[in-house]
Amino acid sequence: MTIMFEKSAPPRPAAAARTAPPPPLGAESSATVGPVSHGRPPAERWRPGQLEFFVLALVGLLFAQPWIVDRLGTPAVQTWATVFVAISVQALPFLVLGTLLSAAITAFVPPSVFTKVLPKRQSLAVPVAGAAGAILPGCECASVPVASGLMARGVAPAAALAFLLSSPAINPIVLTATAVAFPRQPEMVLARFVASLGTAVLMGWLWARFGRPEWIKVMRRPHDHGGSGKWENFRLALQHDFLHAGGFLVIGALTAATLNVTVPKHVIDAVSGSPWFAVLALAFLAVVLAVCSEADAFVAASLLGFSPTAKLAFMVVGPMVDVKLIALQSGTFGRGFAARFSSATFVVAIVASYGVGWWLL
Amino acid sequence: MVVVVRRDVQAVLLILIGGALLRISLTDMYLRYVKDGLRPALVAAGAILLAVGLISAVRDGIQRRAEEPAAAHTHAPATGSADERAAEPADEGGHGHDHSAGPRAAWLLCLPVLALFLIAPPALGSYTASRSDNVVAKPAAASNDAGFPALPPGDPLPMTLADFLIRSVWDTTAPLKDRNVRLTGFVTPGKTPGTWYITRMVISCCAADAFARKIEVHGAEAPATDSWVTVTGRWLPNGQIQADDAMPALTATGVEHIPTPREPYE
Repeated sequence: MTIMFEKSAPPRPAAAARTAPPPPLGAESSATVGPVSHGRPPAERWRPGQLEFFVLALVGLLFAQPWIVDRLGTPAVQTWATVFVAISVQALPFLVLGTLLSAAITAFVPPSVFTKVLPKRQSLAVPVAGAAGAILPGCECASVPVASGLMARGVAPAAALAFLLSSPAINPIVLTATAVAFPRQPEMVLARFVASLGTAVLMGWLWARFGRPEWIKVMRRPHDHGGSGKWENFRLALQHDFLHAGGFLVIGALTAATLNVTVPKHVIDAVSGSPWFAVLALAFLAVVLAVCSEADAFVAASLLGFSPTAKLAFMVVGPMVDVKLIALQSGTFGRGFAARFSSATFVVAIVASYGVGWWLL
Repeated sequence: MVVVVRRDVQAVLLILIGGALLRISLTDMYLRYVKDGLRPALVAAGAILLAVGLISAVRDGIQRRAEEPAAAHTHAPATGSADERAAEPADEGGHGHDHSAGPRAAWLLCLPVLALFLIAPPALGSYTASRSDNVVAKPAAASNDAGFPALPPGDPLPMTLADFLIRSVWDTTAPLKDRNVRLTGFVTPGKTPGTWYITRMVISCCAADAFARKIEVHGAEAPATDSWVTVTGRWLPNGQIQADDAMPALTATGVEHIPTPREPYE
């Protein structure tokens, strides 16, 4: 297999290549990859590696900065960049928390712990895992790597998925934020809790009944090197999971920022009067806006003219299905999984919102 | 296909992201994008990423390069052993990882870092504000019997835009009548030439969920768009009351330019 540098992300490889000076390191290059390099004698001549290209591309960009800023100075581009950076910056700490927990689960918690804690029968394990979602104080970016870590430790996928869906929606921080955003409607908090947990458990059961193991692509993690120790494994798992999920988070943030800046709000407002379409419209808005679950209650409260059920749908769908999450899930579990799971969750979440909204609101 | 990220470059990526997070959270720059309360989390996340990156740089970059000739097969850190490489293409769709090369998607993490360092996107301004409706949600005090507390003394009285909007729209005792107030915000041009709004953006979590608070300013020439000003003046009753989407107004007696405040959002 040949690996071509030209197609990688840093935008100015050609310029970098022309100017590549021999670095001071006498060590052999790591750039050109392939069987050729195997067993190469250390005295072989130096060739610039990926690291050198990468650093040079960065330096090149640094010098091109005034030129780039000139080109990107329009308000629309700046607004887009602000929203993109904001979504990334807001999500990164939670992603770090999620990958820390996930790496800790993989490196330090023996699989037997989970088989002891969770009921043997899947139909019982699903609600237990769903309710356990209440203890992870984060937003949706943290829950994806944790669910993946749980699966790697032998937790049944159905239970891990119930946890994945419920934890960003029903944890105390999110419920408190909901109570603050709807000061005169405490029933909104209850409705959110019931609808979100219901959706998570139902999706878990659906997966247990209809899901196929081959739909989930198990991520190949850096495997154990005997003797390198638990901490080394922890660091490698952390590094790998963070970089991997982080890349997909960026895809999600790019999509969300683009939709955020381009989707005109009056299109959504136009349907606020119709009770059925309003719910669908806000559910759709939740998917494209990709607002963090800790903030979506405030956004929902600021959507004037929509029925409480439509606002509930916004808050139930948002933490479970949005463009950022779909990107994260495709990265972690594979594209086929994300397509099936997200569309099913979207439908179930809307049905749950209608039901709970009709009952409680 | 996109090239996988080598271990030593992974370390550089981690150091870059960690450094970027620390850079914005140790200065006030993070306030352009997120709320004040996220700062400890940003510092912690930045420090963790930086530390992991530095450890990786030492272990995967320097130590392994030194060990490599001796231990080419057992660890094959920089290049990957032949059998691992051969196995990789069989692994579908960009998810092949052996233990020397990281995920391809990781390259994308350069984008937020580059955006931060190269563009340094400013806080949301008039572009977003002119696309956003005024939202003056009915506060709890408007519906209970006790009503609003009396306005504090002060002439002019410094107020947030939120306070001014709520008192002018929902307080039936019209406490702003005959009071001099002072508001701080940036300038958003109005829909017709010559009109303008004093504006603050409001974020609940990050700039993706921002909405605008706007008050029409009368009696003063529009300053430069997006410049920060304090406006002193009096409430101008324009019938915009008791509605969620009201747009109250103010007659200005003085407009003063100020530097961008530390916290651009309200």
